[in-house]
Amino acid sequence: MALLEVKGLTKTFGGLTAINSVDFSMEEHQIVSVIGPNGAGKTTFFNMISGYYPVDSGTITFDGHSLTKLTPEKVAAYRIARTFQNIRLFQNMLVAENILVGFYMNLKAGIGDIILRLPRMRAEERAAYDKVMELLSYVGLAGKEGELAKNLSYGQQRRLEIARALAIAPKLLMLDEPAAGLNPRETEEMKQFILRLRDDMNTTILLIEHDMKLVMGLSDRITVLNYGEKIAEGTPEEIRGNEQVVRAYLGVEEADDEEDGGDAAAGEVLA
Amino acid sequence: MAQHPLRPGPAAFDGKTFAVKDWIVLGLMAVVILAAPLWLMADKGNSVAFIAFLASLLCVYRLRVPAWLRLLLAVVDLAVVMPLVGASSGTFAHVATVICMYGVLALGLNIVVGFTGLLNLGYAAFYAVGAYTYAIFASTQARNFMPFGVYPLSGNWFWLFLLLAMLVSGFVGFLLGLPVLRLKGDYLAVVTLGFAEIIRLLFNNLSKPVNITNGPMGITPIQPPMIFSLRLDKPVHYYVIVLALLLLTFVVVRNLQNSRIGRAWVAIREDELVARTMGVPVVRMKLLAFSIAAGLAGMMGVVFAAMQSYVDPTSFTFMESIVILCMVILGGTGSMTGVIIGALAVIVLQLQILKDASSYLTSLTTAGILNLPSWLNPAKYERLIFGLILVLMCIFRPNGLIPEKRVLQIKEKLGLKPKADAGGNAASKEG
Amino acid sequence: MNQLQVLVKIIPQLLSDGLALGFVYAIVALGYTMVYGILEFINFAHSELFMFGAFVGTEVLLLLKSAGILADMSPTVALLLSMLVAMIFSGALGVTVDRVAYRPVRSAPKLVPFISAIGVSFILQDLVRMVEEAKNGKFYLNAPTLFTNRITLAPNMVVPEKTLYIVGLCLLMMVALTLFVSKNKWGKAMRAVAQDRETARLMGINVDKVIALTFLIGAALGGAAGTLFSVQYGSISPYSGFVLGMKAFTAAVFGGIGKIPGAMLGGILLGLIEVFGASFLGALTGGVFGSEYKDVLAFAILILILIFKPSGLLGKPVGEKV
Repeated sequence: MALLEVKGLTKTFGGLTAINSVDFSMEEHQIVSVIGPNGAGKTTFFNMISGYYPVDSGTITFDGHSLTKLTPEKVAAYRIARTFQNIRLFQNMLVAENILVGFYMNLKAGIGDIILRLPRMRAEERAAYDKVMELLSYVGLAGKEGELAKNLSYGQQRRLEIARALAIAPKLLMLDEPAAGLNPRETEEMKQFILRLRDDMNTTILLIEHDMKLVMGLSDRITVLNYGEKIAEGTPEEIRGNEQVVRAYLGVEEADDEEDGGDAAAGEVLA
Repeated sequence: MAQHPLRPGPAAFDGKTFAVKDWIVLGLMAVVILAAPLWLMADKGNSVAFIAFLASLLCVYRLRVPAWLRLLLAVVDLAVVMPLVGASSGTFAHVATVICMYGVLALGLNIVVGFTGLLNLGYAAFYAVGAYTYAIFASTQARNFMPFGVYPLSGNWFWLFLLLAMLVSGFVGFLLGLPVLRLKGDYLAVVTLGFAEIIRLLFNNLSKPVNITNGPMGITPIQPPMIFSLRLDKPVHYYVIVLALLLLTFVVVRNLQNSRIGRAWVAIREDELVARTMGVPVVRMKLLAFSIAAGLAGMMGVVFAAMQSYVDPTSFTFMESIVILCMVILGGTGSMTGVIIGALAVIVLQLQILKDASSYLTSLTTAGILNLPSWLNPAKYERLIFGLILVLMCIFRPNGLIPEKRVLQIKEKLGLKPKADAGGNAASKEG
Repeated sequence: MNQLQVLVKIIPQLLSDGLALGFVYAIVALGYTMVYGILEFINFAHSELFMFGAFVGTEVLLLLKSAGILADMSPTVALLLSMLVAMIFSGALGVTVDRVAYRPVRSAPKLVPFISAIGVSFILQDLVRMVEEAKNGKFYLNAPTLFTNRITLAPNMVVPEKTLYIVGLCLLMMVALTLFVSKNKWGKAMRAVAQDRETARLMGINVDKVIALTFLIGAALGGAAGTLFSVQYGSISPYSGFVLGMKAFTAAVFGGIGKIPGAMLGGILLGLIEVFGASFLGALTGGVFGSEYKDVLAFAILILILIFKPSGLLGKPVGEKV
C-alpha cells in the first residue's frame, strides 16, 4: 500500500487554479521529488498536504488515514514533518528550544507536573534534552544549542530546520527546496545528507527542488507539475527523456531570463 | 554566550575581565545596598529613603555576585526590612503592596502579551471579575440574591476566594478566548478591549432587576482577610500576603515558561503556522495562556477588594489595562524580571513620585512661594506619562528596559554537558 | 405593550436621531478605514483627532461668540467656518502624529505601531485637557447653540434644523471623498498603494506622501465630524473620543474595513441600531435592560462581527497568507 496517496487534488485561489486534479502516490522509504517551473503549484501541493488550505476537491490519504480535512496540528500527529522554502525558524528562541518545540507531542508532562516541576517532568525534560543534543550533532550543529536561532548562518539555519522536523520522528519528511541558496559543494553535501537521513531515520522523503543535479541524483521517482497539473511522473531516466517536461522547462527559461540558475541547470540536465 | 549588560555572569570573580571601572561600580552598588535599607530603617517616614531603598533592590538584582548572595540580600530586604518599615509606615507598606500586586498582574499579562504574543487590552476585566467575586460575598451585597447563607462571609473565606476567584476569572478568560483567539493581532486587541468595556458596563448596570453589583455606587464595606479571629487589615499584613503571592506566581510562571507549554507559547508568538506544523495545539495553548493570565488577575482582584474594602466599576477601566500593559512594555515583553521591574517603576512613578511632587508643589503654593495653577498639578498627567512611555518605548526600545533573555534551564539546572556525537556524523562543515 | 405603541409614534424622531449619529460615525469611520486600507494598521489615536477637532471647532464658535459676531452672522457660515478650521488643525495633527509616532515604527512587528497609537491617544487626551484647563479652568466645553429651528418634513416628522445640516454636510463630504478617490490623481495613487504598496512604489508613486495624505484626509474628516458632534450634542470633553472612536471603528469593521463605502454604510447602520436599540431594549425587556446598555450593544456588535464576519458587509473574505 502506498504511504501517501493523493487523488484528484484541486485548489483554486480566486480565479486561479493552483492545483488541478493531481494524482500522486509514493511508497514507504522512497525519496520522491516534485519538480516544475516557478508557479507550477509545488509549494501549494506541500501546503495542502500540511493542512494549510482547505481542499477544494480530491482526497489525501496517508498510511490509511485521510488527511483531507485535517488541520496542520492533526497532520503533524500522523508524523508528517516539513521544512520551508524560505526558512521559518522560531527566530528568538534558542537552537535547542527550536527542536524542543518539535518534541511537544512526545512530552507527556501535565500542567500539574509542570507547575510543581515534579521529578518525572524533570526526567522527561532531561531525556528530551539528550535527544536534542543527538539531533544537533547529527546535523552538525553540536555546541550551538545555546544560541538564538536567528544568529545562525544561513546554512546552519537550514540544518536546524531539518533537525526540528526530525524531532517529531517523521514517517514522511517534506523538504521544500533544501538546497536553495547553497553553493555546488554544499548542495552535494546536502544530497549525501538526505540520502543518509532516509536510512538513519528510517523515513520517507518528499522533496521540492529546483536543482536538477540534486533531484536526478537523489530521487527514486519524480513528479513534474506545470501550471498546477501533473504532466509527467517516473524514474529520473524517464523524466529526462520526457518531451513535455523539456518543453515546460525550456518555455519557462525563455520567458524568465532572470531566474537564478536553478532552471538553467534544469535545461542543461534535460538537454 | 554574550554577557548580558544587566545580569551578573561567571565573569564576576575571575579577576581578568573585572576592570577597575567594574570595581568602582560594584563598590557604589554595595554602598547603596547596605546604606539604603539602614537609612530607611532609621527614618521610616522618609520618601527619599524609601525610593533609595527600592533602588537598592534594583542594585541587588544587577549586582555581579553569586546568585545565592543576591537572593539572601533580596530576602533580607523584602522579608525583614520592608515589613519592619511597613509596620510603622503604612504608606510605604501600601506602596510596596501595590508594587507586588501589579507585579503579579504584569507577570500574568506577560504570559499573553510577552510569551504568546497576543495583545490583550482588556486585562482589567479579569481583575474586576476577581474583585467582585470576593466583594459580593464578603459584604452584605450577596443577601440581595443568594437564597441561602449568611453574608458577609467572614474574612477566613478570603483564602478560599483567592483560589475561587482565580477559577472564576480563568473560566471567564476561557469563555472569551474560545471564540476570539483565532483573530489576529490588532483585531484581537480591539475585541478584548470591547469585551472589557462590556464587563465594566455590566458591573455598572447590574443593580437591577436584581441588585448584584450595586451599580456605580460600588460595594462596601468588604471583609478583610482573617486567620481564625485575627484580622489582617494593616497595610503590612497585605504586604506579606501579596509578597508571598508574587513569589508563588513567579515560581509557577517560571516553571511554565521552562516547559513544553512555555515553549509552545513562544513558538506561537514567533510563527504560529510553523508551531502548528510541529504539532503544537495552538488554540488550546492560547486558551491556556489566556485563562492562566485571567486567573492571576482574578486572584489579585480578591486582594484588591479586601484591601480597599470598596470596589466600584471605575477601578477597572481601559486605563487600568493600559497601566498594566505599560509595565510589560516598559520592563520588556517576555522578560519576567523585566515586567516586575516595570511594575515597580510605574507604581513608584504613580504613587510616589507624582504624588510627592504634586503635594510638594501644592505645599509651595500654599506657602506662597510659588503660584502653581491647578492645571499644572503633576498628579493629573498620568495619561500623558503612560502615553509617553508607550510611544517612546515603541520607538526607541521596543524590547523593553530588560529585554527577554532565553536561557537553557535544563542545562543550567542539571549540569548537563553536550553529548558527544551520538547519532551519526555531522551533516556538513560550516562553509 | 403600551410603551411599544409610544415608541412606534416616535419612530420618525428616532430615525432622524439615528441618522445624525450614524453620519457622524460614518465620517469618523472613514478615517479608520482609509488608514487601515493602506497600512493594515488601526489608528487607535484617530478618536483623539476627532476629539481635537471638536475642541478646535467649538473654540472657534466660542471665539466668534465672545467677539460678538456670532449672533450677527449666518449660522451656516459659522458652522462651515468652524468646521474648516477644525479640519485644518486636525489634519495637521494627524500628519504630525504619523510622522512622529508611526513612521519610525512602520517596519516593526504589527503590534508595535498599534501600541504606539494607544500611547498617542493618551498623550493627546491629556494635552487637550491641559490646554483647556489652563485656558478655561475646566476641561470640558459647551458649544454655543447655532440652530434653534425645527423643521417639519412630514406630518409626523419634525426634526431640528441642525440634524439636517449634519446629514447634509456629511453627505457632501462623502461625495467629495468618493470623487477624489476615483477621479483625482492622488486619490488613484491612494488606491494603488492600498492595493499593493511595493508595486505602487515601483510604479513611481511616492508612497510616504500618499500615506501622509491619507492621514491628512482621514484626520481632517475626523475633525469635521468632531465639530458637527459638538454642535449636535452641545458639549465635548477630552474623553469623549474614546467610546465614539470605538464605535466608529466598529462601524468601519461592520461595513468592511478598508472599504470607503463600507465605512459609510456601517456608520449609518450602527447609528440607527444604537438609537433604535436603546429605545426598544427597555420596552422589549419590560424595563429590565434600558438605554444604559446601548454601549454594550455597540461593543457586542463589534465582537460578533469580528468573530463571525471579520470581512464586514461589503468586504470579501481574504484567505490567510502562508
